[in-house]
Amino acid sequence: MSDLLALEGIAAGYGSIQALSGVSLRVTTGTIVALLGSNGAGKTTTLNTISRVVPLTGGRILFDGEPIHELPSSRVVMRGISQVPEGREIFARMSVEENLVIGAHVRRDRAGIAADLERVCDYFPVLKSRFRQMAGTLSGGEQQMLLIARALMARPRILLLDEPSLGLSPIMVQQIFKIIRRLNEDGLTVLLVEQNARLALAVSQYAYVMENGEIRFEGRSADLVKDDGLRRTYLGV
Amino acid sequence: MKRATLAVVILLALFALPMVASGYILYLANLLMVFVVLSLGLNILIGETGQFGLAHAAFYGIGIYTAVLLNNATGAPVLVTLLAGASLAALIGLVLGAISLRMRDIYLALSTFAFGEAVRWVFASWTPVTGGPNGLRINPSNLFGFKLVTDRDAYLLVLVVTLAFLLLTIQITRSRLGSAFRAVRESEIAAAAMGVNVRGVKIAAFALSAFYAGAAGGLFTTFSSFIHPESLGFMTTIMVLTMIVVGGLGSVVGAVGGALILGLFSELLRQLLSFQEIIYGAILMLCMMYAPRGLMGLLERKQAGR
Repeated sequence: MSDLLALEGIAAGYGSIQALSGVSLRVTTGTIVALLGSNGAGKTTTLNTISRVVPLTGGRILFDGEPIHELPSSRVVMRGISQVPEGREIFARMSVEENLVIGAHVRRDRAGIAADLERVCDYFPVLKSRFRQMAGTLSGGEQQMLLIARALMARPRILLLDEPSLGLSPIMVQQIFKIIRRLNEDGLTVLLVEQNARLALAVSQYAYVMENGEIRFEGRSADLVKDDGLRRTYLGV
Repeated sequence: MKRATLAVVILLALFALPMVASGYILYLANLLMVFVVLSLGLNILIGETGQFGLAHAAFYGIGIYTAVLLNNATGAPVLVTLLAGASLAALIGLVLGAISLRMRDIYLALSTFAFGEAVRWVFASWTPVTGGPNGLRINPSNLFGFKLVTDRDAYLLVLVVTLAFLLLTIQITRSRLGSAFRAVRESEIAAAAMGVNVRGVKIAAFALSAFYAGAAGGLFTTFSSFIHPESLGFMTTIMVLTMIVVGGLGSVVGAVGGALILGLFSELLRQLLSFQEIIYGAILMLCMMYAPRGLMGLLERKQAGR
């Protein structure tokens, strides 16, 4: 299997603050890769550099073997990288349907968009029943589902998921992760940022652990789960 | 089906109006339709895109003066003068939009307000061209060689153009661009993440909104005989803003309803000129307190049975 996404020694910062230094990671096609670490470790910044919301100060990013770190963010979406941002960045005063349709904003194939609307609702049946409702009236879990569904509407090859479990009830978290696993089984590659390490290691095949803007550990998720020292020090499991 | 029937009845009534109505009623109808076009335009910028541009009266004035000067000098066909006014307004709106990209919220409101006042000052001071504080006489417009002298003459033209703008607005609202407008209003970050060109969308909203205001100005010149810079100040922008807030921001029906209701109101209150501002202020405040989503919000709530 080849690498769909590769970060090679990337660096980024906000003003004089160095947020990332020398971060390298690989995401193999068809896998779920977890990016773990505590608050402020640089996980979200890493995702934001991939989607080109935060500029790089060093290193390069390859998608499917081609450099993407100089493209504008809309081009990155077109190439097949969709980010599900942390928090609830939904379009609150727009209907659920319109939220989904705008997820396909970079696409022009009307028939394909209509078909994907059906397909996405297949993964998230609850959204279908709320189609005409304003997105702001959805529950927290439903909003998270809408965010993922909206990102899928761009027909991505890789999904960048930022803390999908944040602020959700345990039952809702279970549901969301079940869907993430199903999406992956259907062929979607996922880079998952998560604070809930136990959950992330259970669903992913490979994982990286970040601290202070650097990668500290990496390995197969099944091995990291068994590493007691790592678990206690970095993952708090 | 019922809705379509209602629309047809209203349309027939509007086209039949000149057969029964007096000159004053037709004047009022013309004026209200100008307000409708103004409201539809401001609603695109503020209601749909969430950009608080407060220079609407300036673009209205640019449309008026362009159409009048062109008409008085050349007697060009009214559709030409109208389009010229709207296009010039749109062009200046585009530039203002591009300059304003870095600003938002109160800063955007204040700087566009300042721009509007500067333009009004130009209207009032550029005496050789605009007539300055003395105002400018408007010669009758020329529609296919036919001179539009009275309100009755202009009515059908104003009606057709207003309906065209209404249809255009509905099309835009349902289009990809309309979705992009609303996405920018809701969250610029998320919109950008969806691949929406946020800067381009904002500039488009400014230009489009100014185009409406300029066209409204052109329409005004078809049934009016005089223009005075006093009527193109911030008060006019506030009046249009009140219309779309009362109607319900972001709603086409609301913008039309708000323009009709407040337009009628302002005509009734014309004798009480100095009280108008107080009354607008009171309406705006009451609306914010008890119906923040305007008349459309109240209607929806009633339909939902709450």
